[in-house]
Amino acid sequence: MAEIEKIRNFSIIAHIDHGKSTLADRLLEYTGAVDKRELDEQMLDNMELERERGITIKARAVRFNYKADDGNEYALNLIDTPGHVDFGYEVSRSLAACEGAVLIVDSTQGIQAQTLANAYLAVDHDLEILPVINKIDLPSADPEMAKREIEDIIGIPAEDAPCISAKMGIGIKDVLERIVKDIPAPKGDKSKPLEALIFDSYYDPYKGVVVYIRVKNGSVSVGDRVRMMHTGAEFEIVELGTLSTFALDKKEKLEAGEVGYFTASIKNIADTDVGDTVTLVDNPCEKPLPGFKKSQPMVYAGIYPADGSKYGDLKDALDKLRLNDSSFTYELETSVALGFGFRCGFLGLLHMEIIEERLEREFMLDLITTAPSVIYEIHKTNGETVYIDNPTNYPDPATIETACEPFVKATVITPTEYVGTIMQLCNDRRGEYVDMKYIDTNRAELHYLLPLNEIIYDFFDSLKSKSKGYASLDYEFKDYRPSKLSKLDILLNGDVVDALSFIVHSDRAYPRARRICEKLKDNIPRQLFEIPVQAAIGGKIIARETVKAMRKDVLAKCYGGDITRKKKLLEKQKEGKKRMRTLGTVEVPQEAFMAVLKYDDE
Amino acid sequence: MTNNSVSFYFHIPFCAKKCDYCAFFSLAKQSEELKQRYFEALLRQIDFFPTDRKVKTVYFGGGTPPLLGVHRLCKLIEAINGRFVLSDECEITVEVNPGTVDFDALCKLRSAGANRLSIGVQSANDRVLMSIGRIHTFEQARECIENARKAGFENISADLIFALPSQSDEEFAKGLEMIMSTEIDHLSIYSLQLEEGTPLFARKNELCFPDEDSEERQYDTICATLAANGFEHYEVSSFAKPNYRSKHNLNYWSRGEYFGFGAGAHSYCFGKRFCAPNDVEAYIQNSRTSLLAPTDFDDAPFVSETEAEEERIMLGLRTADGAIIPEASFDNAKRIAALGYGSFENGVLRLNGKGFRVSNSIIANILI
Repeated sequence: MAEIEKIRNFSIIAHIDHGKSTLADRLLEYTGAVDKRELDEQMLDNMELERERGITIKARAVRFNYKADDGNEYALNLIDTPGHVDFGYEVSRSLAACEGAVLIVDSTQGIQAQTLANAYLAVDHDLEILPVINKIDLPSADPEMAKREIEDIIGIPAEDAPCISAKMGIGIKDVLERIVKDIPAPKGDKSKPLEALIFDSYYDPYKGVVVYIRVKNGSVSVGDRVRMMHTGAEFEIVELGTLSTFALDKKEKLEAGEVGYFTASIKNIADTDVGDTVTLVDNPCEKPLPGFKKSQPMVYAGIYPADGSKYGDLKDALDKLRLNDSSFTYELETSVALGFGFRCGFLGLLHMEIIEERLEREFMLDLITTAPSVIYEIHKTNGETVYIDNPTNYPDPATIETACEPFVKATVITPTEYVGTIMQLCNDRRGEYVDMKYIDTNRAELHYLLPLNEIIYDFFDSLKSKSKGYASLDYEFKDYRPSKLSKLDILLNGDVVDALSFIVHSDRAYPRARRICEKLKDNIPRQLFEIPVQAAIGGKIIARETVKAMRKDVLAKCYGGDITRKKKLLEKQKEGKKRMRTLGTVEVPQEAFMAVLKYDDE
Repeated sequence: MTNNSVSFYFHIPFCAKKCDYCAFFSLAKQSEELKQRYFEALLRQIDFFPTDRKVKTVYFGGGTPPLLGVHRLCKLIEAINGRFVLSDECEITVEVNPGTVDFDALCKLRSAGANRLSIGVQSANDRVLMSIGRIHTFEQARECIENARKAGFENISADLIFALPSQSDEEFAKGLEMIMSTEIDHLSIYSLQLEEGTPLFARKNELCFPDEDSEERQYDTICATLAANGFEHYEVSSFAKPNYRSKHNLNYWSRGEYFGFGAGAHSYCFGKRFCAPNDVEAYIQNSRTSLLAPTDFDDAPFVSETEAEEERIMLGLRTADGAIIPEASFDNAKRIAALGYGSFENGVLRLNGKGFRVSNSIIANILI
């Protein structure tokens, strides 16, 4: 067991692609925790999807030893943090398990929105911040600019910041020495009652939930009965230990200052909320550690199997995903149009995309996803307040006193040349300008209050395309504000298609309605009869397009009795039919549902 | 029973020149020597075919069958006549191209036993004929029809293409009247299909094709003109005067068995659908071994009952006689009739001219 003075608990924080995972790999490699052969690119990001997107979705942690120049051997616990705004709370809990943070800044790009957001989070948690300037091997590197920005914008000294290239392995020892010197050893009293912070967990089919903890005070041993202070669940510790590179390293006991894991035959991951405090049943601490929040989904969407008969497969897949991700919720939902499916809650759009992609890739499912919706707060005339996450449940407008929608505080960092177009974008999305600061002569930091609803469609894509990929975005929930909202219904051949309804700001209803009708018209194939495509608010039609009846669909020639083409065509039609939903008498392909989710302004 | 009789198709993949729109298997300018060997291969294959069934129709298609040599065609007909029992009123059709047969040739074919001609007229407009790479004029086509009558053919069909480039609806309507004046008995009409790899496809951007509206007007003109001239629209692409329906083609749609002789020919026989590859030399070589050696019969699956049922509906709906619809699809069939695409009575769905135009969708509607 390491002495508490020889422990260092830290995170690495960075904007996407600034080199967080690469540095983590190099630290492990340098200290011999892994050898190069074992190193599978970026092992901390061990989900395939993460690697493709270059982001770490879920926190992971690893312990490794470093023999410093002062002659002492230190135990370093690197706690990885998710790198996206959707996972802000998870980041905050990981940081709460640390005493320090290595802040990586790409010397070719300088400070970006997430650099800032994460740095502020670290400051909020009283962490010692160790700035590191990365990618100095690149020709466009400007380490001095990066240092200046760190000092000017974040307000921490950066003159001595190590200048490294994680990719080339330059300056790694320097970083390790600074971690040992600058980041304080954990404080904690092992004689006090147990106080341990849960910062991550995952489900293992053999051990049950594996809970990652940081012991703040006291100690915990195999056989102890522990209680999760917020959920109230109690368990007996079966196994505990520290986290080595590729496996769990079993121990008898974990003490104040240490980072490790335990298992306790826990079947349900929801019993181990990130941020909860673990204490002993017999000798509990007085109160839980601060900062606990039940993670709340912000975005909801219906997920349906493209092939209605695959409902059971979808349910199994969701059950499995949920085992490892308690922040995602789902419950049974039925749609007249789409049959059986699930209403799913996500932390944000990225989270939603990740879940969708995992369902499609890992479980080979074809999905139809309905338009994502935020949660609306509706104050009714009878004094009741309801929260609506599904447009289908939107109350009769006559019963609504005030309808409120969630707003977020958004930070956009952009090269100054795009400030104009981005302000235009934010205005178009009903943004409320707060302020703007110039980071330097080239870049500006914009603050807007934006309706979350406007962000969840394709705000990020638009932002990227309007800034040639340079602008970055970060946002956090602010509050609910009264808004003029309408429920927009889409009718095909005169029938409302519930799965296509959505809630929209009244000022945006007409253009949205027109655009969606056009898109549906373009995506619904011609059929044997003419199909009116209409959009309506209440009973009032506000937009209409028509899918004309098909005029020609025939294989005129089956020359010399060759009917193979005809038979192939029939097989193709059968395949196509599997990806179609029949709504009343209208056949609607999966693409049509997809198309209405994107709303480009053009 | 279908097994009591069989139809024969002969594929003659030779042409004087490939037409610019043609994607069928056919070769231009082949030597007499090759044609002789191909002819001998066909003769051998005829002798391999079991004699236990009556032959009810024979069809020589291509390509341009007379380019095999009219004397050879005659010998093939005579060989069939000698080896098999032909059913009463056996229909023996030869496809001809107006530029390739004279009166004398037609007389020879007629006296050998051919009793139906299918003439590639395609258009009544010489400018259009030239633009799609045909080698004849309309006048030659008219002459060919007259010669055929004189040679004793009482059943004459013409092939026609509509939706051709650079032709107005009015010109097309006028041309159709001119074709009517030739007093043919049967018409096969197709809209131009641009097939990848054809010269016409390569030139498609230089040409002015009729739009969807124009194509539909031409189709409506066809349906109206032919009805006015006493033709029945009895199949997707076929029109006939009473009693002049093509027996050979109807056999395809009623799932009667047929055997295809020659390279690239398709068969539905002995319970399987199969074909011989588009390779003349390989065909000649393999024709020595057995009837099925030149084909992929061994690799082809037997037509299952489910498939047979699908085929029955799919092919049945191609004709004006329609198909018996399974009860599960009655509602769909009723809806199709109500939309004006045909009639649905006593469980039988029959498509009309409007229905034929969208028959793929209708078939999918019934079957899936």
